[in-house]
Formats: sequence, structure tokens, C-alpha cells
Amino acid sequence: MTREMLITTLRHHLGSRYVLHRREELMLYEYDGSAMDQAMPDVVVVPGSTAEVAAAVATATRLGFPIIARGAGTGLAGSTVAERGGMVISLARLNQILQIDPQAATAVVQPGVVNTDLSRAAAAYGLHFAPDPSSQRSCTIGGNAGSNAGGPHCLKYGVTSNHVLAITLVLSDGQVVRVGSAVSDTPGYDLLAAVVGSEGTLGIITELTVRLTRNAEDVRTFLAIFDDMEVAGACVSAIIADGIIPAALEMIEGEGIAAIESWAHAGYPPDARAVLLIEIDGLREDIADEARRIARVCTASGCRELRTASDAAQRERLWAGRKGALAACARIAPHYHILDGTVPRSRLPEILRRSAEIAAHYDLKVVNIFHAGDGNIHPLLLFDLRVPGTRERAMAAGAEILRSCVEVGGTISGEHGIGIEKRAFMPWIYSVEDQSAFADLRNVFDPAGVMNPGKLLPSPTSHSSLHATEPLLRMTGRGAWI
Amino acid sequence: MTPFLLYNQQPTQIVAPTSAEAVADVLRDASAQGLAVIPWGGGTRQGMGGPPLRYDLALDMRGLAAVLAYTPDDLVLRVGAGATLGHIQDLLAAHNQWLPWNPPLPDQATIGGLLASGATGSLRMGYGTPRDWTLAMQVALGDGRLVKSGAPVVKNVAGYDTHKLHIGALGTLGVITEVTFKVAPRPAHCQTLLAAFSSPLTILEAMQQIGQPPFQPISLVLLNHSASKANPILHSFLDDTSPHLIMAVRFAGTAGAVGRQIRTAVAVCVEQGAHTIELSETDDGSIWHAIADDLRPTDQLLIRVGAPLSHVREMLRLVESIPYQRGWPTDRYLIAGAGLAYLRWPVVALPDLLQALTELRAGLAGIGGYAVVEDLPVALANTDSPLDLWGPPPETLALMRSLRKVWDPAEILNPGRYLV
Ligand SMILES: Cc1cc2nc3c(=O)[nH]c(=O)nc-3n(C[C@H](O)[C@H](O)[C@H](O)COP(=O)(O)OP(=O)(O)OC[C@H]3O[C@@H](n4cnc5c(N)ncnc54)[C@H](O)[C@@H]3O)c2cc1C
Repeated sequence: MTREMLITTLRHHLGSRYVLHRREELMLYEYDGSAMDQAMPDVVVVPGSTAEVAAAVATATRLGFPIIARGAGTGLAGSTVAERGGMVISLARLNQILQIDPQAATAVVQPGVVNTDLSRAAAAYGLHFAPDPSSQRSCTIGGNAGSNAGGPHCLKYGVTSNHVLAITLVLSDGQVVRVGSAVSDTPGYDLLAAVVGSEGTLGIITELTVRLTRNAEDVRTFLAIFDDMEVAGACVSAIIADGIIPAALEMIEGEGIAAIESWAHAGYPPDARAVLLIEIDGLREDIADEARRIARVCTASGCRELRTASDAAQRERLWAGRKGALAACARIAPHYHILDGTVPRSRLPEILRRSAEIAAHYDLKVVNIFHAGDGNIHPLLLFDLRVPGTRERAMAAGAEILRSCVEVGGTISGEHGIGIEKRAFMPWIYSVEDQSAFADLRNVFDPAGVMNPGKLLPSPTSHSSLHATEPLLRMTGRGAWI
Repeated sequence: MTPFLLYNQQPTQIVAPTSAEAVADVLRDASAQGLAVIPWGGGTRQGMGGPPLRYDLALDMRGLAAVLAYTPDDLVLRVGAGATLGHIQDLLAAHNQWLPWNPPLPDQATIGGLLASGATGSLRMGYGTPRDWTLAMQVALGDGRLVKSGAPVVKNVAGYDTHKLHIGALGTLGVITEVTFKVAPRPAHCQTLLAAFSSPLTILEAMQQIGQPPFQPISLVLLNHSASKANPILHSFLDDTSPHLIMAVRFAGTAGAVGRQIRTAVAVCVEQGAHTIELSETDDGSIWHAIADDLRPTDQLLIRVGAPLSHVREMLRLVESIPYQRGWPTDRYLIAGAGLAYLRWPVVALPDLLQALTELRAGLAGIGGYAVVEDLPVALANTDSPLDLWGPPPETLALMRSLRKVWDPAEILNPGRYLV
């Protein structure tokens, strides 16, 4: 009855075309990028303006339905999954770049703009949008803000929250407010900092003013090849300790290298135990100096060979290996589970060893393909779900690896978020009081408790009763990479 | 001078805890008893926010000054909020690292006080603001809950970034007890160019060019003649005493990259008719300390003005014309790249100041800018018609108020000093 009322009212506000409610329509919105959880929303709306978002939100709140914002749905923590039913708001139609100001190096965009589309449009002015999650060809700027996404180049340039200046936010009662400002240091609490990364629990972003970054004068890319994973991990620390902040410092280890090589032909030696993809950018004299230092540090750390991409084509080829990693590893085993944790950089060798031990203990394969320079690991557990008990082993191994991250002074998510997947782990890092302060903040924005309820914070009902019946692996599209 | 005297008001109690738990206990008790608390660091920025509505307890935070963790190889530092920034910088310098943050009076000012008051400096052009460098915080909320957010690693999305809410909140949500920063390697070389221009048009043109590639300045500030004269170190480099507008621009990196930028910047400035002085590397540190300290409290009124980068010229026109029409001498500073200007107005009759501030705000409103009082001298406080220190509130004021209500329910923290 109320669902019917919801649908009728939404159709009145948005037109029936943009209110999806048939089973076959809703099925497309059951998953996120991980496919670990699955649930069907009551309705999906695809609004075409802030006013329509506001009307839809006010309606759902009034009728007591959960509201879940959705960009491209590539999130990996289940935060766009409608586990309690409710209304999914797809921001797909709000996909316009409204303005690029080359002078101020800012852009005004709608949330549904795809990440790479913004950088492509900004390229004409020698600018780009720095956050570059590996899903950047499909994920949206709104989703990046919702999850505070990172990416390879966030090592030097910072994550999404460092690049969002202001947003238009629809609150749970349908009120529309501007949060933040393109003007520096405006008085008032920095509410924007709380909203970025809030996984749709504080409001729906319908417009963003973001900072663009000037393209560097010079770029240099290296591939450092290692016979030992821990030596490679120590080399990462040594580079940072030498005072170099590369633009990107990525690592691939283990069986992944051979798999990638046979898939992408990036020139990675299949017998290597680990490779580092190192990119530096900046002014040409600085780059020449850093290139020398990187060569010195890599050699001193025991790197077998250091290759330098001498032109754009070679650089692309090296990156193609990194970018094809996920698709390539999918050939090792039919199913996977991507983990995301962060450790202090100096603890990388240790955590890599630990994750290998844990995976072995649970009889799973693990490949690490990750943002090493940030200490942000992504152990990729590989398995075959047709073998009974595999899901449970994968979940247990994942939890144990994240627990190890915490034990060495790290945290349970570097960039993918908490969502459903990790909310039960929050007490590992936050006390009851810490969590109560988070809950206060959430109540301030959403007193009705309708914005993506149950996500991000643990709650008595939160221990996931959901079990995906579909295989873990979902097609993430050609060229998808973690 | 009486310690913890604030606009001639004295606290009835002074508490100097040495642990975060003790800070939380103080706040819990104060909340229960309704005692107004003024947190104190080095006191360098107590002129922000003006006189409190009530003042019972001075909370001296300097006892929480320990360095709790520092792993140079990880570029991460965890420190008590009562440590001075200068102390931290000395520690980091021993490992050839720094926190690229240069607010005024670093040897007196504490980390907690600087963050709470939203202090920044000229380095924000190259390195962003402390918001970008703060990884985690522990805070005693007004009601006595001791909470943390963030993590001691450079990348973390677990939980809300509530620590950033305390930056610039003037301690009205909680008292910062501990901060974890990401720190940076110190650049191999830093060098500064001074350039004296005779017209606002030419200096703005040069600023515009030097703000674009291939230049990557880490700091660029403009000072009017009066401001440059007020800075003895800066002034000592300027041989010509005729009225000029001064640009100070600083580059960092390898000698090659710095040298090329200095040479190219000289060419740009000369092209605009400027007289340039290349400082030696040894003078680089002292000149920027002196420029940062220019914005310390004095007995004059210090105003901070912000505007969109696309409207900096209009902003400068406004901040110049309003005091000029009144015949007031003013020191003016522009922090390029941030669209921020700092103005020092003399202490004149209050109605005149009120009127000038209203006019400034009206002009700024037209270009999307704002003005706040960064430092209110005692002579202008405690009057019946006080200056509006913060200007019109943001449209999210209601949200801010509800947040304050849950974290500082008894409204004991810096009452009456913030816009929320
Ligand atoms: C192959 C692959 C690789 C990936 N690599 C990375 C990586 O390198 N780095 C990284 O950080 N992530 C990565 N991810 C995760 C994911 O792509 C990012 O989290 C991305 O930012 C999500 O964008 P999206 O548009 O798909 O958002 P969604 O998944 O749709 O949403 C993400 C979160 O933001 C909220 N949200 C979305 N839109 C809005 C809005 N308008 N207002 C408020 N909240 C909103 C949602 O409710 C949800 O909580 C990867 C995912 C895949 C599948």
C-alpha cells in the first residue's frame, strides 16, 4: 500500500518514465561492484534536476522509505545495496559538466559525470581531475565524493576530499543547501569534510564544485622488478624515506604478474615475484634528479632490474599491465574478493607476508595489486565458489587480513569504504564513544534515519544476513582494474 | 600581565591538565556545572571571536605537548595538541622533514590552538591547508566524551572525517587533545624573489603569470607599501624607499628547477616594469618567518577577506578604496592562490569602523566574498554596539547549531565567540 503510494507520488513528481518499479528493472540495481551483497529496492528513481531529487527524497522520507544514492554502482563495500528495500536514487541523468574555469582551475559538475569525462574535458586547458580510482572509466564524481575515492595518483595529489570545494546537498527532509565554498576559509564548521566520504548517509549531492590540477611539465614512469616480495615492499618504504613523493607507486606481486603478462603483454617478466610501477611528475629538473635517486634507491634495495619508459607509448604499455590486472587475475580462479586496508608504509613487508600466510591457511590464492606508496593494500583473494565452504573461508580470510592491518597500526579501509561489508569491523578501530559521535553527526543531518540506513556504522541489526546467491565475480567491463 | 586575561575578563579557575582523559574530565564537570570554558594554547589567536559571554574556567592545554609517535620513514607524526608548532618543526627538521604550514608566531602557538582557529599561512599555495595534512584527531567533546576519528595512516575512509569539523571551529565543538599529521620531505632548495611594482595593474598581471605553469610557486604574497614598511626584515632588502607594491614569491625544489623559475619570474616582473631582488637561499627562511609574523595580533584591527579567485581584482579594489576614502593608513596582504587578503585598520571611532566594515561586506557580497575579524584588539571590545565579527551566517547554520547542541549541549565552550 505505501509502496504504491510512493510510486504514485514519485511518478507525479518525476514522470513515470523515470520511476522504475518493475522487477526486471529493479534487478539491475540489486548489486554494487563487489556483488557480495544483493537486495532489491522498492523503487528506483532517475531524477533530472536538484528539484526532482528534493521532491523524491521528501516523498520517501515522508512515507518512511530508506533512500540510497547511486552513481555508477561500482562501489565495493555494499553501500549502494538496498538491504532494507527503499528508494534508490540514480544520479545517472545528472551528467553535465556545467563549467570549467581554467583561471581558477575549478569545475562545476553534476554528480553523474563520469570521472574520466571530466579529465578529458579539462585536458583542453592543461588540467585534470586528480582523483583517479581504477574504476574511473565508469565511476562518477558524485560516487567519488560519496566514497571519498582514491586512486594511484592520490599518493601525491590527495584523495577526493582534497579536491571537492563545495556541493549542493539535498537533506532528508528535501531541503536543498550549499555546503562548502569555492572561496577559501569561509566561516562556519567544515560540514563538507563530513559529507565527503559519508556513503550517502548525510544527504544526496546534486552538484559539485571541484578543484582541477594542472598537468605536470614532465612525467617519467619506471618498472622495478624484484625476485622477492618483501624486498619490493621495503623498497617502497625506502623511496618514501629518501624524500621522494612519487605521483604513483603501485605494486603487483605473486602469481598476478604472470597472469597479467599473458593477458596484457605489458613487458612484465613472468618469473618476477613483485614489480613496482613508479611514476614521478613535476618540473623537468626535479624529475631528472628524482629519476637518479629512484635508480639509486631501487638498486640499493636489491631490485633485479629497473626499466624506464622512454616515451608515452611505453608508459601506456606499463600502465596497461596495472590496469588489466583484475581482468587478468580473473583467469587464475573464477571468483574473487577484493580487500582494502591501509598500513603504515614501513609495515608493508610484514602485512604482505601475513596476508599470504592467512590466505594459505584458508587454502585460497592471493594476489596483491595495490597502491603501495600509500600503504593501501588490496589483497585479491581468488577461489572457486563451486567448492563448498569457499565463501565462508574467503570471508574469514578477508576479516583476518583486515584485522592484521589494524594490528600493525593501520585501518580497515583506505578507499573502498565501510558500507555493509566492514561495518561489523568498525569496533576494531573506534570505541563506543567514537561511534556515538559519528552517530550524533548522522542524526543531525538525517534525524529521520532514512539516508542509507544501516550502512557505515555497526548497529544491532547490521550483521549482514544477506548472502549473495550469485557468483562473486561480476563483469566489471573490459579494462576494469582495481 | 595577568595570565589568561581575556578582554579584561578573568577566569575563576585555571586548570592545566596533562592528559587527554583529564581534559575530558574537566569538560564533563564543567558541563554538569554550567561553567564556561576557554581553552588556551599559546594565546596568540585569542583575539579571534572577541570577548566571551561568560568566562569561568581557563583550560591551559600546554601540558599536553608530548610527541606521541614519529616514524620519519612513514612521514607520520602524532603529537599532543599543546605542543608548539615551532617545537614540531624543529623535531621534523632534524629528519629533513617539515609540516608545510607557516602561520604567525609558531614558537608560541600550539597545534591545537592553530587548528581550532583555522590558522594558515602563505605555504598553502604550494601545499594546501592543514586540513589536507591532518590525518586523525582525538578530541574531548564539550560533554566530556573523549573521541577520535581518522587513522595514523595516509589513506583512510573508515568513519566520518569528523576531525576536520574541529578545524576552524574555535573550540566550540570540543577541545583538540591530540593530532596526527602527515608530514613532508623538506625541499632541497627554497629561494625567494622580491619585486617592487609601481602600479596595482602591473603587479596583478605579474602575479597572474607567475601563478600559471611553468611556475610552481609554493608561496606568493603581495604587500602594499605600508605593510612592507612595517616588516623590518623585508624592508631591509628594499633599497628604494618610494611607495611601491611588493611581491614576494618563493620556489622550492632542485637548484635547477628553482633557478629556472626565478630567472623566468624576474623576466616577467621586469617586463611589468618592476625592480627585482633575488634573495640568497640563506635569507629565505627568515624572510618568510617575518612575513608570516606580519599577521600576528597587534593593537590594530585585523580583518580577513576572501573572494573567488575569479574576483580577486574586485576584492583588491574594495579593500583599497574603503580605507582610502576615509584617509586611514592600512597594511594589506594578499595570499595569492587562496584569494585571501588580510587588512589592518587603525583603531578609530567605533561607528566609523562599523560603517566601513558594513560597506566592505556589502561590496564583497556582490562578488561572492566575505570578511571576518581575525583579531579584535581589546580597545574595540566590551562596548554596547560590538562589531559583527563573523558577518552573515552560512545557510547551513541550522545544521551547525544542531551539531553544537549534541557535542557541547551545555554550551560551555567559548560561549558567544563563534558564529554558531
Ligand atoms: C574494478 C574496480 C576498481 C576500483 N578501484 C578503485 C580505486 O582505485 N579507488 C577507489 O577509491 N575505489 C575504487 N573502486 C571502488 C569504486 O569505484 C569507487 O568507490 C567509486 O568512487 C564509486 O563511484 P560510483 O559512481 O560507482 O559510486 P557508487 O558505487 O554508486 O556509490 C558509492 C557511494 O557513494 C554514494 N553516492 C553516490 N552518489 C552519491 C551522491 N550523488 N550523493 C551522495 N552520495 C552518493 C553511494 O550511496 C555509495 O555509498 C573500484 C571499483 C571497481 C569495481
